[in-house]
Amino acid sequence: MALLELDGVNTYYGRSHILFDVSLSVAKGEVVALLGRNGAGKSTTFRSVIGLTAPRSGEVRFKGEKVNGLRAFRICRRGIGFVPEDRRCFPDLTVRENLEVATRREKQAENPWTVDRVYALFPRLQERERNLGSQLSGGEQQMLTIARTLMTNPELLLLDEPSEGLAPLVVALLAEMILQIRKEGVTVLLAEQNLHFCAKVADRGYVIDKGSVKYEGTMKDLLADDEVKEKYLAV
Amino acid sequence: MMATIDVSFLTVQVLSALRQAAFLFLISSGLTLIFGVLNILNFAHGALYMLGAYFIYALTLHLTGPAGFVVALLAAPLGVALIAAVIETGLLRRIYVQEEIYQLLLTYALVLIIDDLAKIVFGPEYKSIPKPDAISGAVTIFGGTVPVYTLLVLVLAPAIALVLWYLLYRTRTGKIVRATSSDREMADALGINMSALFTLVFAFGAILAGFGGALAGPARTVFPGVGTEVIIESFVVVVIGGLGNLWGALIGSLLIGTLETVGIIVFPEFEMSLIYLLMVAILVVRPWGLFGRPLKIKALSEKNLGMEAQEISPVHFSVNPLVRVIPVLLLLAVPLVTGRFYQYLLTQIFIASLVAVAFNLLLGTTGLLSFGQAAFYGVGAYTVGLLATKAGVSTLPALLLAPVFAAAVAALIGFFCVRLSGVHFAMLTLAFGQLVFTIAFKWYGFTGGDNGIQGIPVRPLPGGVEIGSTQAMYYFALAVVGVSVEILRRIRSSPFGSTLKAIRENTQRAAYLGVNVKLYQWAAFVIAGAFTGLAGGLYALMEKSITPDIIHWTKSGEPVFMTIIGGIYTFAGPMVGAVVFTVLNSYLVAWTEKWALVLGIILLVMVLLLPGGVVGFVNEKARAAFGKRGWVRRWTFSKSAAS
Repeated sequence: MALLELDGVNTYYGRSHILFDVSLSVAKGEVVALLGRNGAGKSTTFRSVIGLTAPRSGEVRFKGEKVNGLRAFRICRRGIGFVPEDRRCFPDLTVRENLEVATRREKQAENPWTVDRVYALFPRLQERERNLGSQLSGGEQQMLTIARTLMTNPELLLLDEPSEGLAPLVVALLAEMILQIRKEGVTVLLAEQNLHFCAKVADRGYVIDKGSVKYEGTMKDLLADDEVKEKYLAV
Repeated sequence: MMATIDVSFLTVQVLSALRQAAFLFLISSGLTLIFGVLNILNFAHGALYMLGAYFIYALTLHLTGPAGFVVALLAAPLGVALIAAVIETGLLRRIYVQEEIYQLLLTYALVLIIDDLAKIVFGPEYKSIPKPDAISGAVTIFGGTVPVYTLLVLVLAPAIALVLWYLLYRTRTGKIVRATSSDREMADALGINMSALFTLVFAFGAILAGFGGALAGPARTVFPGVGTEVIIESFVVVVIGGLGNLWGALIGSLLIGTLETVGIIVFPEFEMSLIYLLMVAILVVRPWGLFGRPLKIKALSEKNLGMEAQEISPVHFSVNPLVRVIPVLLLLAVPLVTGRFYQYLLTQIFIASLVAVAFNLLLGTTGLLSFGQAAFYGVGAYTVGLLATKAGVSTLPALLLAPVFAAAVAALIGFFCVRLSGVHFAMLTLAFGQLVFTIAFKWYGFTGGDNGIQGIPVRPLPGGVEIGSTQAMYYFALAVVGVSVEILRRIRSSPFGSTLKAIRENTQRAAYLGVNVKLYQWAAFVIAGAFTGLAGGLYALMEKSITPDIIHWTKSGEPVFMTIIGGIYTFAGPMVGAVVFTVLNSYLVAWTEKWALVLGIILLVMVLLLPGGVVGFVNEKARAAFGKRGWVRRWTFSKSAAS
């Protein structure tokens, strides 16, 4: 059974129809990429899953149970962690406090994340533990938001454009960390524009354009499909 | 000898300033905390302070002795917190997704309701709260006599501040509160239950207000309406310190506490004006207060709190010009069939209508909630009153100068206010309004102080037309208001008016289109001020006497009330609201003393159930029912207009 399933999801902002019958599924243990250009509907798909912008029709199932219609904090407590693309560290809290406020679901996890465990994954954060969220570099902010979401002990991690705006070296480091997170047993759904980054970390990919899914397949097939790449990904 | 006197005097004054600052901090820290997390400016915070004082009063009637006093001091704030939790879960929660002015208005309605309920339960008189003997004496410090109770306050308030600091910076819940105040949506996505947190923070802020009241009650007195005095001071504190910032509340309290103490010694007449002047001085340099930052809009998505926003359609149909003539003809005929009572009542309605329509140029058209319109009304009224009594100026020139002076004052006040937006704007207009009030109230030599001006002569108009009689005044007011309302209507439908609406709809996008937003807002503020001043001038002529009451901030609430009742996005709405308000006022006052209570409940119901107002509601229904029939469209809903 799939961990996450979207079934004919339609989402609106006010009167604008953004997602058109989006269906996708992520199995436990996978890393799946959701590829598409700016404005294709990647972030809206994530917001629909986490409940920040609830779908108007269709169904979102997590571990077989319908979660759309629940409020965001309840969906988080079911085990879905969301890392938004604009990072959004709490600027007035220190790095450590950012992690502390997110601590959750320790009892549900076999091997719960602790501050020390996420520091082991992101040593840089430990060095900056007393700094405020507003004092971090872009890469550090990205690490902090991922680490913060891990503190909620998610079974599924939604990563929205983690590589955006980061230096190539940092992006390579990030790829390593995502593989490491996967080894820890966390399933990952990744929204990206960076095909090469996805090629390194993902097993399968969906391509989304203008609010609908245009392609699905393994990353290997996707990399070989020049037509799709040219048409939807501007590669 | 001199030196010892100075030291003792200084000691007493410093401690008294600190005590004042302590009370202010307890109230404004709760206010600022609630704002930081809920994004709501809690007008009712002063009412919660008052409840704290009444609760300790009621409790000490039964609990005597030091132990009883301590129990009462702790129980009173908890009682306030309980009431606050009911208010938050039962009322406020329903409108979090609406625009922020509706939240402000809901808490304003609560002020009216709680004040009147307090009057019913505890009576209108001043109550003093007995202190146990152990803390009612005085001690001598550096030769100065200091009440023991002051020392108690000076120990307890910093202790509370420390507890507050500890809770916010050292506990997980406190950290969550700080996180939420910078990004609600992210906190939500991290599994934090916003609804529960909001209730907790609102109740905790209420504990601080209630404790402030319980602690201040025995040192001062308590009476219905004491909360409104306190809330204005706390507004000034948080505006100076920066809304939502706890350090700002602390520094602001110390500044205001000191200034009030110094002011009483140095300028006893203008002590209250001083704090407003300090506020203006600080805002000139730092528009968002000492520690404040410009507000980022922390939008709540609809599902965030599990509800849908109630949509108020800003589009409505305007009425055919021929149809508009009918009420004017009817009004011209009224004096033929009615007596002086109805003529007087209608004259009041005309004046109120002008105030409300001018106000709605700011609220409904430009999206600015001014809580200081009474200042311009007062300037207009005093212009006519002073010119007529002191300078012997004739009636018409005096009336024509009313809007001129009001516009000048509005230009000055508006210059500062339009630099801010939303609740900051509302608070600042309120504070400026109170500055004007304190001047009129205290400046005996010029304005007559709280006695006001009596016996304002109404001289004939040029051509010898007498307007002194009730009937003549009726026609005169009808003419002046009719012309003014028509001018305001044309302003609203002019390209200038459309630009104002664009600013209301999306300030940022209007700015991207090259609109000088601040200049337009300032112009709207001045125009509204001028017409409000004209209405004030008419009022002075109608009543022939004025008192500073007409400038008090509670008067500024009236056009707000009328506009919300009638309909914010309609031109006629405020006039309908003026009719409802004035008629209610004149009948209810005769029928019941609980006038504010009734007003408060009506406002509460409107905000919760009918935010588009009566006219907005009728408009919507009528459009749905008849909008498609050709002849109806032709004669009533002649053209569709984006309001």
